Amino acid sequence: MLEVAALSHFYGKHQALADIALGVEQGEIVAILGANGAGKSTLLKSIAGLVKPAQGATIRFEGHHIGELPAHLIVERGIALVPEGRGVFGDLTVAENLQLGAYPARARAGEADRLARILRLFPRLAERMAQAVRTMSGGEQQMVAIGRALMSNPLLLLLDEPSLGLSPLLSREVFRALAEIRSSGLSVLLVEQNARASLDIADRVYLIESGRNAGSGPASAMKNDPEVQRAYLGKARAAPSPP
Amino acid sequence: MLLVDIILPGLVLGGMYALIALGLTLQYGVARIMNLSYGESLVAAAFGAFSLYSGLGLSPLAALLLAVPIAMALNWLLYRFLLERLMRRGKDRGAQEIDSILVTFGVLFVIQGAMLVAFGGQYYSYGYLSIPLTIMGSTLAVNRLVALLFAALVGGAVYLSLTRTRIGTAVRAIAVDANAARLVGIDVAALSGLAFAFGGGLVAVGGVLISMFLTFNAAMGVVFTMKALVVVIMGGVGNVIGALVAGLLLGVVETAVARLVDPGLTLAATYALFLGVLVIKPTGLFGRAAS
Repeated sequence: MLEVAALSHFYGKHQALADIALGVEQGEIVAILGANGAGKSTLLKSIAGLVKPAQGATIRFEGHHIGELPAHLIVERGIALVPEGRGVFGDLTVAENLQLGAYPARARAGEADRLARILRLFPRLAERMAQAVRTMSGGEQQMVAIGRALMSNPLLLLLDEPSLGLSPLLSREVFRALAEIRSSGLSVLLVEQNARASLDIADRVYLIESGRNAGSGPASAMKNDPEVQRAYLGKARAAPSPP
Repeated sequence: MLLVDIILPGLVLGGMYALIALGLTLQYGVARIMNLSYGESLVAAAFGAFSLYSGLGLSPLAALLLAVPIAMALNWLLYRFLLERLMRRGKDRGAQEIDSILVTFGVLFVIQGAMLVAFGGQYYSYGYLSIPLTIMGSTLAVNRLVALLFAALVGGAVYLSLTRTRIGTAVRAIAVDANAARLVGIDVAALSGLAFAFGGGLVAVGGVLISMFLTFNAAMGVVFTMKALVVVIMGGVGNVIGALVAGLLLGVVETAVARLVDPGLTLAATYALFLGVLVIKPTGLFGRAAS
């Protein structure tokens, strides 16, 4: 359903992404692994329309080119990004954040049902609908961010470091929610520093190094790949230092 | 009774301040434009109401029906064809703010110059509904009460649409985080233009209402810009309820100082209150702690 090819991006003279290619099929969870600064966030932002890809890139979603669309129209096509750092509206209440999630026209039909489903997925939010989001814990804010993205009735959910800064317990809760989200037929493209949890939940994995594709494969195979174990699962004596 | 003598006119004045601060909240808090020509738009609306009343005998309340759509259209055009382009070119928030200040500083002189050509520098006023009315021992002109009533109606309607409707919530969301707003499918540029236009409409309402009971001249716009800015910062930038409360507070304090101390000290009192709030709570009465 999502097809990315020849995607490059420059921040000034610094090339953050070089000829990236990847794909996500209906109902898949695809994880992107890579070191800090490898360009994973830029990749998600390019798909979501927050940063403009360099010339020559192809981003197709459900058969349509979306590389030139502004961010708000990409949401309308069915792609929702949960950005790193969550990007929730801190001064607004949980209810208002979720209501804003359903701002796109595609999200209006069935809004009440979707809200009920999200509150079942994150029961904590149901108790705090009137609370300002900035007064909540990091884990709860992450639930608001994911819930808000789900309110837009997406076909594909992009998640940028959803467990960053969360306690192991809350992290597990977020991953449990992702598994549940997938079982409802949604596709997920996930960027995560928690490689182990990502490999456990993902169907396929792409490796990205210094903005370039550095391998891909089914998660089950990648888990046993010695290179991957060494670089991402910390199974060597010490973390490898970059050359 | 002295207390009523202060509270009633204070609320009338404060209602005007709250209304124009609400408009500036939309322009500065949401559209991110520091509009220095804000007060001039207000005075222009006052002159418009004056002209319609003295020329055609049209009541200022009917003039609202004309002034508001015209002001909204002009503000929208200004945003769409000048400010938005500059904002897109600005590298960061700071550069954009300087650009918007420079542009609207120019607009200030254009509006002020046009008014000076048309009306000269003298003070104007007109007598619409200037019928004295005694309430609890305090005498007030009916036009002031009508102005307060209209300000309350318009301010209340704007407040409710900002807090109770989806599009109003979207407008506030832009003030909180414009980038996150794009991620929930909000067309930030289009909605900012709309917010800017509504801000212009609100200041036109303020200008027409104020012209019913205050004297005005072509050069006094800056006073209103400053007061609107003081109210917005006092209430917390982008905070709707903060602008309303701070506006009413300022009106009552100014009236109290004018009545109890000396009318010449009102502006000093304004700034004393402003500085007091900033020292105690730098993000404004209703602003959140800096994060």
